Order: sequence, then structure tokens, then C-alpha cells
Amino acid sequence: MVTAFQNSQVLLLAAVLLAACAAKLTVREPAAEAPDHVHGVPVPAGLARLTAVRRNRGMTVGLAAGEGLLGLALLVTSHLSVRLATTVAFAAATWVVGELRVRRPDAGCGCFGGLSGKKVGRRSVLRAVLFTGAAVASLGAPLAGLDVLRDVQSQVGLVLAVELALFAALSPELAELVERRRAPAEPPCERRRSPLAETYATLHESAEWAAYENAVASAVPLDVWREGCRRFVVFAARVDDRDVEIVFAVSTAGQDRDVRAAVVTPEPAAAV
Amino acid sequence: MPSPLRDARSDARRRRRAAVFGAPPGLPAAEPPLRAVGGIVLDASPHLLALAAGGTEVRFAMSGDTGIWHGGRGGLAALRPGRPVIVRLKEGGAGAEGTGGPLGGRGVFVADRVWVDIRRVAGTILACGRDTVEVDMGAHRGRARVVIPPHALQRVLVRHPRLEPGYLIDVICVGSPDGPRAVRPGTSQPGYRADDLAAPEATAPVPGVLRGTATWFGEAGGETPDGAAYPAVDSEGAAGGCADAPSGCVPFPYLSVGSLISVRNECGGRAAAVPVVECGCTAARFCDRCVECGASPRGRIVELTPVAFAGLGGELDAGCFNASVRPDLPVEGPW
Repeated sequence: MVTAFQNSQVLLLAAVLLAACAAKLTVREPAAEAPDHVHGVPVPAGLARLTAVRRNRGMTVGLAAGEGLLGLALLVTSHLSVRLATTVAFAAATWVVGELRVRRPDAGCGCFGGLSGKKVGRRSVLRAVLFTGAAVASLGAPLAGLDVLRDVQSQVGLVLAVELALFAALSPELAELVERRRAPAEPPCERRRSPLAETYATLHESAEWAAYENAVASAVPLDVWREGCRRFVVFAARVDDRDVEIVFAVSTAGQDRDVRAAVVTPEPAAAV
Repeated sequence: MPSPLRDARSDARRRRRAAVFGAPPGLPAAEPPLRAVGGIVLDASPHLLALAAGGTEVRFAMSGDTGIWHGGRGGLAALRPGRPVIVRLKEGGAGAEGTGGPLGGRGVFVADRVWVDIRRVAGTILACGRDTVEVDMGAHRGRARVVIPPHALQRVLVRHPRLEPGYLIDVICVGSPDGPRAVRPGTSQPGYRADDLAAPEATAPVPGVLRGTATWFGEAGGETPDGAAYPAVDSEGAAGGCADAPSGCVPFPYLSVGSLISVRNECGGRAAAVPVVECGCTAARFCDRCVECGASPRGRIVELTPVAFAGLGGELDAGCFNASVRPDLPVEGPW
């Protein structure tokens, strides 16, 4: 039973290391240049630069390579040096995560790349402690990971399933992954920068423009302004032998931009 | 405070927008703003103050309770002809002769508070001399050289410990022949350099009501029409914004010059709809709080002209009030 438990730790650690490696290489951390807050206070420039070093892509790739190598080594060999290196790596990670929780409560640990962007919580620290414990337990495991996989005992499967469930429960990254799958991050239309060229392109492709295009008297708009999700473009026009204004309200959203239009009778005093 | 300024372009924009989206909803129930007037002193006596305001002469009754500020508590001697003043009237005031003009009709108005030649300098420190600080107040407002006399320096340093180029400064000043002379700090200095502003994430949702601090800008008798400087004015087309304005530390929706915003003084409960009259690119750099009535959320969400600020119950010499701002955005109904 003890041996089965130790063997299952090897598999667990290999799986976690390979998953962390894959996440670091595939999921980038969001907008490294965006400054942070600590408890709502803007981070001073010095600390922000340190954060930038930690977020450096080269460092992330290096860490991922190390984790990948350790994970593969755990699978193919039962040499004590590999187990020791894994234990030291997880102990160091536990220390780093604990320090981050105290000193940078705003910053994520980056354990699983961009998925670990939220602040380090108790769950992340507990998870790192448990992994360190698993690494210590794996020191005496007789088999390499692949050997365990070749002949999976029911006890190993059970222990592994329970540990993976615990790992999932302690991982805030899963919620982030689900959220990312659900909605791609995009600025809300109210504060999305929308260039004028995009507005005109949307307008000229719209059915509303097609309906009024022949009535528009001048290609130069009378006024162009924006309020929230709409940019308003006003053209002088002539409809039924009357001078009118056509107001187009063009969406500033990133996708599915629509256009609304209305015909307004100009007021001489107000027409600017 | 007079009704919101409705210049031709703002009116035209509201009319055109209403043609597409319908009329905007009114203000939620709130205390109405007080009346305030900015003008130039024509004559002053213990019982009467005459101002030139809006091209006409306006008279206010003065009483023993009328507070006069001129770099501190001042007396009648501060009301010299030719000086610019902001006058806030007593609520429901009755007792003197109004002659219409900016007060909108005949009536009787009693001055409650008078601020004489009050100014404010807020922006990025460019250079520091022995007793002067040169400040960049943003693209619209240019530069100012503030004199900080020794007796004010200690007060300023308490709340602005980093009087160094690159940091922000915000001081309440009084006019003097040498230019604005600092009297007291307007707010506490943010601890970061002006170019190290912490912006919210690009994907942060825009709240329906923005909460933070409201301050004032400009001076009595300034050129700017009454209204607000809003930190996120669109820079495309004729919207009136500045291209290089920082995004601010609150997720602001983009608006334009002429757009209406509802500003509520959370300390006094007064609220008013004011038009955006300027791009508040300087306000966007300040990620500070107001502590007039509890600590406000961080973020300078609006700068008001002195008349609008005083009308909402703000004390110009205090510098800020805790505020909520509701931008009047088009309501997206079915089409």
C-alpha cells in the first residue's frame, strides 16, 4: 500500500510538471506592460520593473523547459537525483508562492503561465505545500513513472484520482481556463478605442448607409462625436426636396457593429 | 447655480442623439444645486456686493454670516473692485436685489460664501526653484509658475512630500501680482510619478455610476464655460479630446465635449447635470481620493468649473468632494 502510494506520487508530480510546462508555453500572461495596484495603490516604478522581469518571456520559457525536463525525467527514470531535484523545485516554489502572497498580494504566481494571473491565495500556497509533501513521499518510490503506467494497480489509480481531484479543488487556474473558453477578452464597447476609419468602414457597409446614400448632400460630415458605445456621424442631406440632417449612430464594439439612422429637421439656430 | 450651459453645439448634439435613441431619462431624485455666480467685483459694502457677471451687473446682500475667503479667512477689505470672485448664495435666499442676468430672473439673493481670486494649480511638476514650482497643467491649460511662500511650504510638504520634477502637485492658490501663490494643498500627492499611472485592465467593465473624487479647475472669471472636465473625452472627429490623454484609473466610458453627466456630491447629496466642456487629461493622471466625508474610492472622476463645484455644495478652498458621476449614455433599445 505504501509503495503504491509512493508510485502514484511520481505520476502525479510528472503530470503536474508537464501540465505547468505546457501552460507556461501556450498561455501567455496578459498585458505585461499594464501597471498594477497593491491594495488599490499604484505600484511604484521600481516594483513594477521587478514584476516586468518576473513576467519576462525568456524567464517563463526557461522555467517551462526545466519543468518539462523534470517531468519527463520522472517518467523515464527512478534515479534519486531526479526525485531530489523535484523535491527541491517544489520546496522552492512553496517559498516563492508564500513570499508572493505576503509581499505582492496583487500579483499572480504564474505557476501555470497566464492562467495563474490572479492574486496568490491560501489555496495556491496549500497546493504548493502538498506538492512538496508528495515530492518528499516520492523519494522512496521504487518505480519510474512509465513503469507505473505499464501496470496500473487499482490502488494507484484510486490514490491518483483522489489527488487529482484535490489538485483541481485547490487550483484557481481551472476557473480562469473555463472563463477564457467562455468569452474572449475584449474591451467593453464604451471604452474601446475605435478609430474614425473603422467607423466609416462600418457605416459604408451598412444597410442604413445604402438607404440614405443618395440623399446625402455632402461627403463631409456636419459633426462627428462619441458617447459610450456609439459614434455619431451627421450628414447634410436632401429628402423630398427638404433640407434635412441624417444622423448615423455607429457602434464602437469590437465585433458585430451595427448602425442606426434617423432623419432630423435642422434647426437654423442649432445647426452647427 | 445657473442651469447647465447649453451652447449651440451641445444642444444640437442632444437633439440629434434623441432622434436616434429617444430622450434621455431625467436625474434621479436628489437635492438641487445651490446657486453660484462668478464675476468681477464692482463695488462692495458691509451690506451689498455688486458684481459684473455674464455681461450684466448683479447685486447680492451681504450679512454678518457671509464668509469671505482670500487666501484664508478674509474681510470686506478683500473685496476690492476688479478682483474675480465666486459667490455661493444662501439656500432659498431672500433679502437683496437681483437684476436677472446669470441668476435667471429678478429676485433677492444673499451671499453665503465668497471666494476672492481663488485659483488652483494641478498637474505635473516640471521644475522646482527655491520658492517656486513650475507646473504643466495639461494640453488645454498650459503651464503655471506657483509661488510657495515659506508659511505655506510646510503645509504643502505635509501632503506633497515629493516636490520633484515628474511628480504630481495640486495646490489651492490665491492670485497675486507674481502669479498664483500657494495657500494650501488641494489634495494629497499621489505616490507615483505622473507617467507611472496604474490604469485599469483594458477589459474592465464600465460601471453605470462612477465613484471617486470631484475637484475643480480654473479660476473665477475664466474663459471656460460652466461645466466639467471629463477624463475620457474621445479624441476622434470633433469630440474634443486629446490624443495622448492617459486612460485614468477608473474604467471611464468615452464621451465628447457637450455630453451631459450627472454629478452628485456624496457628502451633501446635491446633484446636477453638467455638460462636458473640456478634456480632463490632467484629472486622468490623478489616482487620488477625497476624504471630505469618509474616504472616496480612488480616482479623480471629474473636474468642475468653480461655479459648478460651489453650486454642488463643494468648498473651493477644501478642494474636493466625494462624488458619483453618471454619464448620460445612449440607451440601446430595440431597433
